[in-house]
Amino acid sequence: MPQRLLLGPQRPVTNLGQVVNDTGIPMGPIAVISAGWQEAEGDIDDVRELVPGSLIDLKLYHRADEVFSVDAHLHDAHRERQDQLKELQRLYRLRLRQLMIAARQLRRSHASAEMIAAEERHAISQLRALDRHHLGRIESIHRAFDDRIGVTCSGSLAEQADAIRKILDDCPTVLITGGNVIVLLNRLRLFGVDRLLSDKNLIAWSAGAMVLSDLIVLYHDKTPQGRRDAEVFNTGAGLLPGYVFLPDARRRLKENDDVRIGLFCRRFSPATSVTLDSGSLLQFEGTEFRKAVDVRRLTNKGRLARVKTS
Amino acid sequence: MRKLFRKGTPARTDIDAFIAAAEFPLVDGSDVTFVFRGQAEAVNLRCWMSGLNTAQPFQALPGTDLWAVTIELPEGSRIEYKFEIVQNGERSLILDPLNDVIAHDPFGANSVCQGSGYLRPVWTVHDPDARKGSIELKTINSRKFRQKREIQIYLPARFRRNRRYPLLIVHDGTDYLRFADLQVVLDNLMHNLEIPQMIVALTESSNRLKEYAADERHAFYLAQELLPFVTDTYPLIDEAQARGIMGASFGGVAALHAAWRFPGRFGRLLLQSGSFAFSDIGRHERGPVFDPVVRFMNDFREQPGFPAEKMYMSCGIYESLIYENRSLLPKLQKQGIDVLFEEARDAHNWENWRDRLQNGLSWLFPGPEWMVYE
Repeated sequence: MPQRLLLGPQRPVTNLGQVVNDTGIPMGPIAVISAGWQEAEGDIDDVRELVPGSLIDLKLYHRADEVFSVDAHLHDAHRERQDQLKELQRLYRLRLRQLMIAARQLRRSHASAEMIAAEERHAISQLRALDRHHLGRIESIHRAFDDRIGVTCSGSLAEQADAIRKILDDCPTVLITGGNVIVLLNRLRLFGVDRLLSDKNLIAWSAGAMVLSDLIVLYHDKTPQGRRDAEVFNTGAGLLPGYVFLPDARRRLKENDDVRIGLFCRRFSPATSVTLDSGSLLQFEGTEFRKAVDVRRLTNKGRLARVKTS
Repeated sequence: MRKLFRKGTPARTDIDAFIAAAEFPLVDGSDVTFVFRGQAEAVNLRCWMSGLNTAQPFQALPGTDLWAVTIELPEGSRIEYKFEIVQNGERSLILDPLNDVIAHDPFGANSVCQGSGYLRPVWTVHDPDARKGSIELKTINSRKFRQKREIQIYLPARFRRNRRYPLLIVHDGTDYLRFADLQVVLDNLMHNLEIPQMIVALTESSNRLKEYAADERHAFYLAQELLPFVTDTYPLIDEAQARGIMGASFGGVAALHAAWRFPGRFGRLLLQSGSFAFSDIGRHERGPVFDPVVRFMNDFREQPGFPAEKMYMSCGIYESLIYENRSLLPKLQKQGIDVLFEEARDAHNWENWRDRLQNGLSWLFPGPEWMVYE
């Protein structure tokens, strides 16, 4: 079974090198996906110092720019789709805001526990319904785009996808860095790379870990404007289903807000919401959980409980 | 000060040592003591704060050449001031000789008193890790004003032609750059992912008290000349919610007026200490330069319409405009506009406006930190 090693941010604690050493993950040629770094894609000298073997950056971000520069039709269609997705996310956010306010107020309201519990269950089911609806709408926009521009329709896209596939064929292990999760997922999907990872050993951190789940949830409680409601962004590659990965939670999550954390946990249940902080390691064999170091899961009661190695 | 006078009139050397060791003004909780050393017939503290007398008299400290006055300044306050020295019957305004902290503005400079709890925000200070954006100069041939107008365009550090950017139009652009460190702030906030990479058009007016006072020509210039020019020249996101106007004082009036006259064109407004004078009845008392502003604001308050989807307003609580700004808020909210209003313990000055930029810009244009998981 392929190994999957998920890490948190590589600063301030860099555990990539040690994890690679300790787990003995196959070190043949390693394909690197650093598209989340956008313009800084491929700047992987730090990674080379930590990971032995030959590293080949797939350059998904730059390849996409190249494709767009020669295929105006694809570029326009892609831009149009991104605009639609952005607009959809904005509309979803409008609806989400009201549901979240109601759900939080219920949790803080004074009434009989039984009454509150019943209303809360319904409030959470409404949140889940909205999230499901949103994912469905996203999927339909993607389908419409795929129908309009398939890989086969765009010569340059097909050419790049083919080149990527050939590199991946020779790489038993793929390393995915953090960065902008939206850009990362976009480029993975554009070249169909998300469908080529199932038999690979994977080392991924932060945004790289998020895209391996079947659900990507954006969150940040400490922006200049304060807390934002966690938003379903998209489905991921689905290689590690049943988890919502929360990188850098110590910095981004208001850990003492039990109402908020409890609501987060219940909203995305039965998926397990787990943190990936700097220094964390979450190890899977295939989809089977094997080991956790400094990983916590969100609980229904709004706490963060340490995940123990089975 | 009390220690200095504990054993009676201090010796000159003790005063020298005290002056050399202390930081002025002396801040002790909410008590702030301003000190002047020198010969004078009278000394006054001038700080142009609404709510305080404009001239606070110093007391001469017996047997010394020291003068002092203590005022109460609430936690987190920041005020600008000068000393008024009366010598030989002549009055002169000077910076506080014992205080190196100075703020500049188009009229010169003022000393700055940073009250207890005030800290200059770190994102207003140059960060060597933040990549610098660039500024280029463009000329617009304005038919409305029948003259050429220069604008400065800020382009983000990683500007690329194949990307699309939000646009922010800034009134009094050069003053924002010089006195509110706007370029440093933009570089830092973009580096910290708190705002997206954006293009900023910095406008000027040689006659701002007229053109920014709800002048139809200026609104037309922004919406029908500057905006099309920038849209043709740079890759912009073609949506009202990705277009904003910003301004302080009369610049705030100009921004609101342009958005009101051309609804749907600008989806974001950032208004700092807007000179939103109005009259419920009778004449206003702010002088003739405010006449067109009051006419506009009275019209606006009657029929606010929907000038922008999202707005940020700030005002210092030590400026007289706080009343006008506060009273505008419910009118805007009633229209369904998403407004964030922030009050600051500061007055009508550029550093007040600088210190609010993180909140204002990130409210109107949230950055990608939400999406970035390093």
